[in-house]
Amino acid sequence: MRLPIFFSKKRGERRTGSPAWGSFGEGFFYASLLTAGLFVGGLMLTGVAVPEWRINNHFTEVEGRLVGKGLARRTTTDLFGIRRQSWRPAVLLEFHADGESVRAWHTSGWGEATTDRSLALRQLDGWRLGQSIRCWYDPERIETVVLKRGYSWWLWLLTLLLPGALVVFGATGLAQAASAWGRSEERQAAEIGQLLSPLVRSSPDEEGFPTVPACADLMNSPGTIQRFRLPTESPEAWSLLGAGLFALLWNAVVIVLAVAAGFDLAGGRTDWWLFGLLAPFGLIGLAAIGLFLRRLLLATAIGPTHLEISDHPLRPGGTYGVHLSQGGAVSFRRLELVLELEEQATFRQGTDVRTEKQVVWRELMCCWDRLEPVPGRPFEATLQFKVPARAMHSFRSLHNAVGWRLVLRGIPDRWPAFLRVFPLVIVPAGPDAAAAVVRQPLREVVS
Amino acid sequence: MTERAAAGEASATATLPRVTVSFASDQAEYAPGDMLETSYRVAAIDPATITTVERSVVWYTEGKGEEDFGVVFFDRLLAGSSDAMSDEPTASAAVDWPSGSFSIRLPSSPLSYEGLIVKIRWCIRVRLFFSSGRDFVSEHVFFLGDIPVARPLRHAVS
Repeated sequence: MRLPIFFSKKRGERRTGSPAWGSFGEGFFYASLLTAGLFVGGLMLTGVAVPEWRINNHFTEVEGRLVGKGLARRTTTDLFGIRRQSWRPAVLLEFHADGESVRAWHTSGWGEATTDRSLALRQLDGWRLGQSIRCWYDPERIETVVLKRGYSWWLWLLTLLLPGALVVFGATGLAQAASAWGRSEERQAAEIGQLLSPLVRSSPDEEGFPTVPACADLMNSPGTIQRFRLPTESPEAWSLLGAGLFALLWNAVVIVLAVAAGFDLAGGRTDWWLFGLLAPFGLIGLAAIGLFLRRLLLATAIGPTHLEISDHPLRPGGTYGVHLSQGGAVSFRRLELVLELEEQATFRQGTDVRTEKQVVWRELMCCWDRLEPVPGRPFEATLQFKVPARAMHSFRSLHNAVGWRLVLRGIPDRWPAFLRVFPLVIVPAGPDAAAAVVRQPLREVVS
Repeated sequence: MTERAAAGEASATATLPRVTVSFASDQAEYAPGDMLETSYRVAAIDPATITTVERSVVWYTEGKGEEDFGVVFFDRLLAGSSDAMSDEPTASAAVDWPSGSFSIRLPSSPLSYEGLIVKIRWCIRVRLFFSSGRDFVSEHVFFLGDIPVARPLRHAVS
């Protein structure tokens, strides 16, 4: 008997496997999730949601009388054979249903059972024998009576969310596995491509360049000297935002603790644990504010950087003009403009999704030493650069990317170094440019 | 193909399938927009055991990231039928079951790229489906474009 092989094996250029068994395994996994979702959903619906819905829609309202009260005792034995008792308050109600007098115990409505018998007894103190009580009974089982109606929204939410997520995840996975049944990955990709092609519209500039990222966002801001002003991706902006959010959230926690401590003090109590916690929390909060203000000062003191370019998207072998404008009243020890090619790969590591970046090519376009600010005027420079004739084009797929960018690296006099990144899109060379390509090492053709 | 798989598929011939692909270009190097004319030959297997042949031209990524891939040409040929489910108007099929040939015009991108953590490869895949439900895929790499191999940076810009 030949056993099925569930996973394909690759041997050099050949790969063998059983797509049918692979799809079956995947389908079985998702079917299990779907079944589990339906089962748990069914349990929660019949055990929680439906009874609650019946109380609110089917139970009959009646005026009853409290004729007895007591404790319902429950005895349980744990794994070690130790017996534990818990108590729950119970009231005996008398009411008229269908022309006859009915007496029924009601135990729910006081929360969880307690192991403290005296506490359960105290909960009964509020009830007075003979008092009138509005209650609702089940017409189908008259001895079932409740004192409260309404919906537990969190319970409904839980009923919908938990099994709902399992059902949605399982059903979509099962549908996907069914659609992949016996189909090769090439066939699936081709069919998905045919389905999506009417929905995906690319701009005229990107037409004919699959996997080259769109550059419409890089071309919607006109420049003053050159044709387009490039948007910036400043790592400092993200760290400023991160520092701001951290300072805000941390200090919100500190304020909540401080208010609680203040109420304690006002009430004549001193919770030393709370005060002990408040002191280091407060110090960290102050440090977070200080860090945020420092970054804010750095971002505002250095001033904005504007970079304009003569054309976009770029082509290998093309020569382009750029205009740099650096504002602010800071003097620089060094300022340099660099053209970089960066690879980016996203992968799973355990349950984490990680992204690794690596600069694989870098060319210094220009650098300036000892720059002193001129009051009221930004530092400006215009220069030209050439894209290498055999440069890789910009590329982006779901988990991988190859991107070009201009990077301004600055070292101010009394501030830490900073980076301003300006992404570029390079499309593949056209037939003319391809014909002009000379087979040389990449570095030698860069001007 | 593993021995276990082969035992069931090739019981008639007791041999493994062998797929050879020949490119018009000796180096299997093409420029964007070129016509890719190729023929493939399936040997060492009883043609009667093959139910379907899928020919495709795909690009895929290799390296540190998860694999992405795209199909620019896909063609499915069924045994005993001259009809091919082709999704590519520039494709042509000359069938000599289960061997054959096809030609397509290659797209402008993505170009073959040998980066440090991202690599892009192009290949022709010939996938054979057998009457038992198993399949066998043969992959033949070619190069699109002429992008130089990326090398680690020696030093940072000072």
